[in-house]
Amino acid sequence: MIRTALAGNPNVGKSVIFNALTGAKQKIGNWPGVTVEKKEGICNYKGTEIQVTDLPGIYSLTASSIDEKIARDYILDEKPDVVVDIVDASNIERNLYLTMQLMEMEANLVIALNKMDLAESKGYRIDVRKLSNEIGLPVVPMVAIRNEGVEELKQTVVHAANSPKKPAIRYSDEVEEAIGEMEKKVTKERILPEYPSRFVAIKLLEGDKTILEKAGKRTEV
Amino acid sequence: MKLSEVEPGSVVVIADVHGNPEVRKKLLDMGLIKGAEVKVVRNAPLKDPMEIEVKGYNLSIRKVEAEKVLVVER
Repeated sequence: MIRTALAGNPNVGKSVIFNALTGAKQKIGNWPGVTVEKKEGICNYKGTEIQVTDLPGIYSLTASSIDEKIARDYILDEKPDVVVDIVDASNIERNLYLTMQLMEMEANLVIALNKMDLAESKGYRIDVRKLSNEIGLPVVPMVAIRNEGVEELKQTVVHAANSPKKPAIRYSDEVEEAIGEMEKKVTKERILPEYPSRFVAIKLLEGDKTILEKAGKRTEV
Repeated sequence: MKLSEVEPGSVVVIADVHGNPEVRKKLLDMGLIKGAEVKVVRNAPLKDPMEIEVKGYNLSIRKVEAEKVLVVER
């Protein structure tokens, strides 16, 4: 069975895609310890079972709100086989910021580019293949409310689970140098070894509170 | 000048974002980064909150946060 999680900004059609994927086979509960709804479901693609977990809608993964914390912890700790990042094509610039953060976390990503019809009516013309090449990730164009792209998404998820990719973002030389130095320290001192070392390095440089706390507790700085 | 002082209808460019690290990070997360164009759409009574347009979407921010965003004329 393939374990996948749905991530994305609020209002990108995450629930529509979740319902289109899982149909009636859903389980609704809460995330442990908090009153934030957790939805899980199962779907099938040519005999392969795909378990789908719906993550809360978020703009970023800074973990400054409970929703962001849930999404981030789930991806980092539960390590789903595939993370489907649902991007609103009609609001692509802001949406791709979360995509970038998911790439930094080295999640095995598939991009579901939803609301293609709305993007078109706004006058946007998106070169899906070029976008996919630029970010090095599979991109599935969708109009989920009309059920367009749902089968393609399942197929892409199964394919991604079988051939996982590690996305990477290269920053300017100056920034890369700092990341490289920090990453060396992270590896040497075994800071949060269960997370990708580059991700930990970037978060430490950002001064990210949650990662600092986690690292601090472990190494007793 | 501060974003909170900009009149509805005007378009300005963000020069800098201040505030405590958490608020600042959140504002940057929402696309209020240096060099980004911002249009003030309208104000609620007492200019709190104000609605702005940034990176193709509409965002409502509190006066105290808008005061932390420094802008220049386009």
